Amino acid sequence: MRRLLDAMREQRLALVGLAMLALFGLLAAFAPSLSPHDPAEMDTPMLPPNRPHPLGTNDIGQDILSELLYGARFSLFIGFLSAMASTAIGLCLGLISGYYDRVGFAVMRVVDVFLAIPRFPLIILMAAFLKPGLRTLVLFFVLLGWPRATRLVRSQILTERNREYVDAVRLVGASDLRILSRHLLPSSISIALVRFIMEFQHVILAESGLSFLGLGDPTVKSWGAILHYAFEYPTIFISDVWVRWAMPPGICITLVVLALTFTGFSLEEWAEPRLRH
Amino acid sequence: MIDMRVAQYLLTMFIVLSLNFFLPRMMPGDPLSYLTGDPTADMPVAISEEVREKLLAYYGLDEPLARQYTDYLINLAHGNLGWSIYYKAPVSSVLLGRLRWTLLLMGTATLGYVALGILLGALSAWRRGTRTDIGLLVSVFSLGSWPPFFLAMLLIILFSVKLGAFPIGGAKSPTGSNAAGLKLAAEVAYHLFLPSLALVLTHLSGVYFLMRNSMLGVLGEDYIRTARAKGLRKRDILLRHALPNALLPIVTMIAMHLGFLIMGTMFVEVVFAYPGTGTLIYQACTTRDYPLLQGTFLLIMAFVMMFNLAADLLYSRLDPRVRRA
Repeated sequence: MRRLLDAMREQRLALVGLAMLALFGLLAAFAPSLSPHDPAEMDTPMLPPNRPHPLGTNDIGQDILSELLYGARFSLFIGFLSAMASTAIGLCLGLISGYYDRVGFAVMRVVDVFLAIPRFPLIILMAAFLKPGLRTLVLFFVLLGWPRATRLVRSQILTERNREYVDAVRLVGASDLRILSRHLLPSSISIALVRFIMEFQHVILAESGLSFLGLGDPTVKSWGAILHYAFEYPTIFISDVWVRWAMPPGICITLVVLALTFTGFSLEEWAEPRLRH
Repeated sequence: MIDMRVAQYLLTMFIVLSLNFFLPRMMPGDPLSYLTGDPTADMPVAISEEVREKLLAYYGLDEPLARQYTDYLINLAHGNLGWSIYYKAPVSSVLLGRLRWTLLLMGTATLGYVALGILLGALSAWRRGTRTDIGLLVSVFSLGSWPPFFLAMLLIILFSVKLGAFPIGGAKSPTGSNAAGLKLAAEVAYHLFLPSLALVLTHLSGVYFLMRNSMLGVLGEDYIRTARAKGLRKRDILLRHALPNALLPIVTMIAMHLGFLIMGTMFVEVVFAYPGTGTLIYQACTTRDYPLLQGTFLLIMAFVMMFNLAADLLYSRLDPRVRRA
């Protein structure tokens, strides 16, 4: 009975998470046709919600709903791309460094150095000095993201390569390349997937944080940037504009992160059955 | 093994120091824009060629790069972090004035989220699979997904603006700043409550979840079954036998989490206009006070890395099994 309850709980969490992600993905993909205006177009500032502007306009007269939809595009894109690249690099490097000891030793020294550096302060410093655009931003996130994936995959390979079936295939005469790609790679896919979700989450939070501080790409509408301008608006806390201006982007970030948490949690339990006592 | 860890952290610190030196020099444009602000800014400071050369010479920017680099390291070794352009004071003294507020906020938040996380995590594990467990799991996870700056904004709007129960920001009230003793302490605590709450709520999930898992592991061990078979009371089993062993991973977690906490603290400080180092970084960014930004950055990095190293070393002390690895 209890196990059934657990299974249901996990499944439901995963379903809820994936459904939410899919919804945001669709909103992002169809942002240009869904949004009522061009997010850069300027109307009368600070319009309250009305027919042409369902959430009203901001301090320079841009439609908040359109900003929000384009923001989904940017946040999801940068999160997905950075997380994908970090995980892919981590997967390759982890495989190689887990299989070949010498390479492994060298790679792990680099990884250790990277992991000892606090990520977020460094990103702030880099962003403040180098004034990143979208591409540079992705580069930063990947640069600081790959070591975690690499370490995780490597430790998986280290235990996996000593399993009997690996010896067996080797005895049959399989090449290193074949062992790596056909046998060891599949064994670390699930762990890499979990890492991908967590990285996705980290990048979304970090990017919105950067933009909230006014350090993101100033030409792009992101959720963090909307919050930044809302927060800078003098009477944001006192009047009721926060309900339609600060609340929606904040809730969007929270929901995406939550959806990723749910998905990641279920994935993790599935990838590591040891947690399921 | 321990020497190796220390050596590796020293190497990392050296790399961070070098990054701190080279990043500003990779900035597009004139090296003096570092001092005068961004050339693309609304009002770039116009300087004549003569003044420019004098400035370059004064700041040692006409020296070869290697010379500048060694000068930078020597200055650092003397605790000289440079001169804040905005505050017109040494960066180190500006930082010192702010540091205690950040430490106070982080300390309070850490105590709060660790205590609450342990408590709820243990409860959740003990009641595994029940409604309590699932309710806790979902609510703690949901709280952990809030970006700290957004939760902080909502707390201000709800508790300070709508209910008027707490101050809207700052660390002391501007009128009562000459209060002393207990009165001052009460005032500081009153201002500390909401920012700490924002941090506790957003950082709870790590400790909670770790505690839950670790406790589940411990509860499955043989000696717990023995304790149960002996007929010990539930509370005694939980507190005396299970808790101490489940706590071990928490120690490392706290130190490793410090990097996240600093990031959260920074946002919360900015939203609450709390006079700590996070607000300082924000100001340094908006006023383009680059020396201040670098100094604060170095301090934070050194602080986090020190704690990470301490956690590494402490953990291998606490759990002899790790020493071999």
